[in-house]
Amino acid sequence: MQLTNPPQVRRKLALATASLLGAVGPAAQAATADDWAIDTSVLYYSEDSRVTAIEPVVRARKAIGDDEYMTYRLVVDSLTGSSANGAIATSSPQTFTSPSGNATYTTPANTTPLDPTFLDTRVALNAEWEKPLSRYLKGFFAINASSEYDYTSLGVSATLARDFNNRNTTVSAGLSYNLDTIEPVGGIPDGLTAMPTTTSVQKSTLGSSDDKTVADLLLGVTQVIDRKTLMQFNYTYGMDDGYLTDPYKILSVVTGPSSETLAAMPYLYENRPDSRARNALYWKTVHQFNEDVINFSYRYYWDDWGITSHTLDARYRYEMGGGHYLMPHARYYLQDKADFYNYKLVDGNIPQYASADYRLADLSTTTLGLKYGIQLSNDSEFSVRAEMMTQQSEGDAPFPDVDATILQLNYSFVF
Amino acid sequence: MAGFSAIQSAMSHDLQFKSGPGFRSAHFQAMASPCELLLDSDDPALVEQLARTAQDEALRIERKFSRYRDDNIIHRINHARGQPVSVDPETAALLEYADHCYRISDGLFDITSGVLRRVWHFDGSDRVPDAEVVETARQAIGWPRVDWHPPAIRLPEGMEIDLGGIGKEYAVDRTAQLLAQQTGASFLINYGGDLYVNRPRQNGHGWIIGVEQPGQHTDSGDINLASAAGESFELQQGGVATSGDARRFLLKDGVRYSHILNPLTGWPVWDAPHSITVLAGTCTDAGILATLAMLQGAGAEAFLDAQQVKYWALR
Repeated sequence: MQLTNPPQVRRKLALATASLLGAVGPAAQAATADDWAIDTSVLYYSEDSRVTAIEPVVRARKAIGDDEYMTYRLVVDSLTGSSANGAIATSSPQTFTSPSGNATYTTPANTTPLDPTFLDTRVALNAEWEKPLSRYLKGFFAINASSEYDYTSLGVSATLARDFNNRNTTVSAGLSYNLDTIEPVGGIPDGLTAMPTTTSVQKSTLGSSDDKTVADLLLGVTQVIDRKTLMQFNYTYGMDDGYLTDPYKILSVVTGPSSETLAAMPYLYENRPDSRARNALYWKTVHQFNEDVINFSYRYYWDDWGITSHTLDARYRYEMGGGHYLMPHARYYLQDKADFYNYKLVDGNIPQYASADYRLADLSTTTLGLKYGIQLSNDSEFSVRAEMMTQQSEGDAPFPDVDATILQLNYSFVF
Repeated sequence: MAGFSAIQSAMSHDLQFKSGPGFRSAHFQAMASPCELLLDSDDPALVEQLARTAQDEALRIERKFSRYRDDNIIHRINHARGQPVSVDPETAALLEYADHCYRISDGLFDITSGVLRRVWHFDGSDRVPDAEVVETARQAIGWPRVDWHPPAIRLPEGMEIDLGGIGKEYAVDRTAQLLAQQTGASFLINYGGDLYVNRPRQNGHGWIIGVEQPGQHTDSGDINLASAAGESFELQQGGVATSGDARRFLLKDGVRYSHILNPLTGWPVWDAPHSITVLAGTCTDAGILATLAMLQGAGAEAFLDAQQVKYWALR
């Protein structure tokens, strides 16, 4: 077979070779390789004039046998700044006691009250063991623990994944169980009792600590659609039991339905139901073009607190060549409020459950971001991600917008 | 532990070290070829460490992808009797690569064409197989008939794959990646004539590579290989690979059949060069370009000219 006009294939070949030689880092090679694959990242999250979080993460993965891996993860969170305490802005300054009851802070007139005593460091450890159980069955077993000064959490999870249909279909089933203990500063406030406005009065408490359990069941199917397309469907059922209230959040009580005048007992501690049944359906599709990859997901969530939400997420990985890539990211989240969400309460009409936590309100969150990554060598990569997030009220009771900036640096390597 | 140190000493036994003017080298056998590593350094500990890495990697790739073994993924795939086999990421990457090469070459590069070896024996004799025999073998060829849905591959009964056409070059590039993590010094990896150099030596020069000259054919088909390397060049960075072997052919009725077989016909490529040596960015690229050029037969040089790569074709 002779070609009169030989095709120019060298560039196509060079690309194919580059992806062949870049496809499997030495870490992913034979399990005898004693390499650790390390991912390090630091995340900076800052809400406009509110909370700032800095979160370094180290993840280490090592092969311990054929297709058998251990993965360890260490996360340290440090939070500083202020967070909305749930009270409404009024035309006069307001004074609140700090959670410990030993100090007070005052909010100026016409300003959403923020609790400035926010300061917290959380340390979380997680270990996962991934083990093939038979030719088509894989098991993932994990334990996790996290601790901060007023909160500890311990958990276990197990997931089985089985391949069917020439490995084009993977069915997963998993269970996870967490036990959390909360020990709030100043004790567990008695829900819907008054928050003292001076340090001379003690809040009414129900003991110094309480706990909750979180159990989740996940059922999922991953399906190869064609050589370039993958889809995933998940259903998650979760059950939370125990103390689900935020011990630091309060509600403002006003004298009448349309009044802004505070009642005699102006602030009540919030109170949430002690159980919550959660459901989520999740669909994700990943499609690869010649080199670029698009990744789209939709999640529908509903629970027996009356919250429903929709999440749309899209990412596009654009290969710039030479190991550089750009990944724009867009996310939209829309939520209907919890049944017991109240912007404020009316004196003499106090329900059994109430919270003014804006995170339970009608709201939407829009996130736009861009990530840039560079493959530094066959097994090291650096990336930086910047995102802008805006959270706004979608209801008739407007809390102010929350704007946040997210900056993340990632470095992965093998040693 | 005793067993472990026994293995260690057995392994160092296979490694031989030499030193030359301003460089050190290590030599071992793998993939049925003499393998060597040249290092622009006179640190014996470093060359030993790198040589071990190279030897481990070459042997690992040989064990994993050789079709002469019965304990690896290639054997599992070829003996799955029509059942799908799920492969690890590295094997998947190689299969994806083979798939690319198949498409780029319009079917001339086909990892299922190894079955032709059962009917063609290039021993310098005149035993050209019967056309029906070749045709029967050819019917067991065709990458598109393979179900390849990463990470699962399913071969129809009677078909087999062979990654031998890219294995050695791939081993060179893989080794180069591993060595680059351990040293900044210039090195040359040579696995049976497939080479890679990572960077110029400290004196600013490259490594001198000799290109074999064509032999003088006598009518009996004997080859007298000119022992003096005809042409040599300085390789500062990149991969070099050679396809073809002047010593393997058949000769019948005055017609010389080269051992480069066209998977689309089952017959040797007509009028292919004796050998082609290509210089490219990586050893894998060089190897594939040399192989694709050989498969063009008479059009080998034109094909390589179009690729704008440096090459040596021996006819």
